[in-house]
Amino acid sequence: MASVSVSGLTHKYGGNAKVLDGIDLEVADGEAHAVLGGSGAGKTTLLNLLSGLLRPSSGAIEFDGRDLADVDAAERNVAQVFQFPVLYPGLDVAGNLGFPLRNRGWRRAAAQRRVEEVAELLALGPLLDKKPRALSLFEKQMTAIGRALVRPDVALVLLDEPLTAVEPAAKWQLRQALQRVRRELGLTMIYVTHDQTEALTFAERITMLHQGKVLQTGTPEDLYERPAHEAVARFIGSPGMNLVSARVSNGELRIGGQSLCPCTLADGNCVVGFRPEWANIGDTGIPVSVRSVRPLSTIGGVQVALVTAEVGGATIHVRQPMHTAGNGQARVRIAPERLVLYRHGRRL
Amino acid sequence: MQPSRNNKAWFAVAPVVLVVAFSAIVPLMTVVNYSVQDIFDVNTRIFVGLDWYRETLRDPRFLEALLRQLSFSALVLVLEIPLGIWIARAIPRQGRQTTVFLIILAVPLLIPWNVVGVTWQIFARPDIGLLGAALSGLGVSYNYASSPVDAWVTLLLMDVWHWTSLVALLCFAGLASIPSAYYQAAALDGAKGWRLFRHVELPHLKSVLTIAVLLRAMDSLMIYTEPFVLTGGGPGASTTFLSQYLTTMAVGQFDLGPAAAFSVLYFLLILLLCWIFHASVMRRDA
Repeated sequence: MASVSVSGLTHKYGGNAKVLDGIDLEVADGEAHAVLGGSGAGKTTLLNLLSGLLRPSSGAIEFDGRDLADVDAAERNVAQVFQFPVLYPGLDVAGNLGFPLRNRGWRRAAAQRRVEEVAELLALGPLLDKKPRALSLFEKQMTAIGRALVRPDVALVLLDEPLTAVEPAAKWQLRQALQRVRRELGLTMIYVTHDQTEALTFAERITMLHQGKVLQTGTPEDLYERPAHEAVARFIGSPGMNLVSARVSNGELRIGGQSLCPCTLADGNCVVGFRPEWANIGDTGIPVSVRSVRPLSTIGGVQVALVTAEVGGATIHVRQPMHTAGNGQARVRIAPERLVLYRHGRRL
Repeated sequence: MQPSRNNKAWFAVAPVVLVVAFSAIVPLMTVVNYSVQDIFDVNTRIFVGLDWYRETLRDPRFLEALLRQLSFSALVLVLEIPLGIWIARAIPRQGRQTTVFLIILAVPLLIPWNVVGVTWQIFARPDIGLLGAALSGLGVSYNYASSPVDAWVTLLLMDVWHWTSLVALLCFAGLASIPSAYYQAAALDGAKGWRLFRHVELPHLKSVLTIAVLLRAMDSLMIYTEPFVLTGGGPGASTTFLSQYLTTMAVGQFDLGPAAAFSVLYFLLILLLCWIFHASVMRRDA
């Protein structure tokens, strides 16, 4: 295993615009790190730069402090699991698992022992002599994961949206298997996804990528509770964070002229961010007009609803017990200690 | 729901059925008809059963031509398939060069058989041909008109020159359809050279290679024009393949009955070989 350090990584294809622009990233030895971003954020480019399939336009990548500028893909000792299961069709599962070892000159018997260990770990034993076309998508992707883990000295395992092709019921199972082997083997993993649930449940730390730039790196709690950037606030959470224009004047934070709470910031415009479950619509607080109340689920005998309302020209969502919410004019209370404030898109 | 019967669809198919009937089935049945009769003139025919078939299969010249034919086709496949794959792998996958390569490769495919034959006939002549004269000048004894080995070498060169492009283009299409993730995975798994070809490329080339082998096998089993133009089947009978011998019989000697039996056997042979090949590929797939 290795720690990964990326600094000032920039890449462009041909003479086009920068796909990655000055990426800094630190991944500790044995860490599960997720890279989260929408399509076109540069996630796959980042993976290909890490694995050595692409060479960066500028910037440096180091594994355990060793600069990799002149080290090509095969020597970096990186393994990757792709979006769709990539298996060698002519080889059975055992052959697929042993492929990276045999390429590196392992003897047949030694490779076979190692393949059996990995198969044991991922419960692939019964499939060892099957050809890929006889496997389900789930089994195929498990085999691909097994092949990524088979080298005992693998420095880094990259996962490129590995759950995309798997049927929904098997996603959870696959994620569990990944978590388990990562803990057992102490693997350094970088997991690329556009799915926040996958990132939040898989990773110890998450890097949010947007248009080739890092918006924030932090724990799942950091990204959820203290998004560093409005784009992160909107992207994470379902629905995302409520963002409402506000104004600071005379030591008060005001939305649509109504005072929300005392505020020590300099006077001026800002944006107030709060999660749907940090607010409550009822009889006290700032006036809002409720547009709709949608029942969600019942938790502990209480029906929870998603309330959509308008305040200060913005639409907000609030998640709260059903019986307190009704259509028409109401008031919203927002826990002031959890509020996140933004100016020019960045957290204050 | 009951499937509704709409027999009108047959009217749409009818023209094709008619064309196929006149172009393939009727001539074929005529040949089968000839093959069981001894024909003296239009009004004098004797039914002879399978006599012509027995005679053909016992004819040493038929058996020699068959052996030559099978050897020639085997050599064609052994040369053209690996060479075609090698060329396909050497073509850059994208960029402006790709188009140039593909166009150059396609050129031989556009040239008619007899033109290829004439071109090589002249090109390889030891007195005035560029290749033949150059070899003579270097002191290499080479003359396709007198040496059977030289005639075979020339024919094989001609066929390789004419048809390897087909294999290469088919394989290129096959290679181009391999998703890039396979190459990426192979690069990270440390597969290079032969192992990359064997485990990543070859499995994905299977279906196009099946087509390539079938096309080249069928076509080379039917070769006629090139040896006819080059040496007329000589020197001696060294390049007299099945079609050459058949033509001598049917057109030269006007032995319609034996020639018809020969034709049917020839047709069945090609069909059988291709079927065996195709079936063995399919069985391994299942």
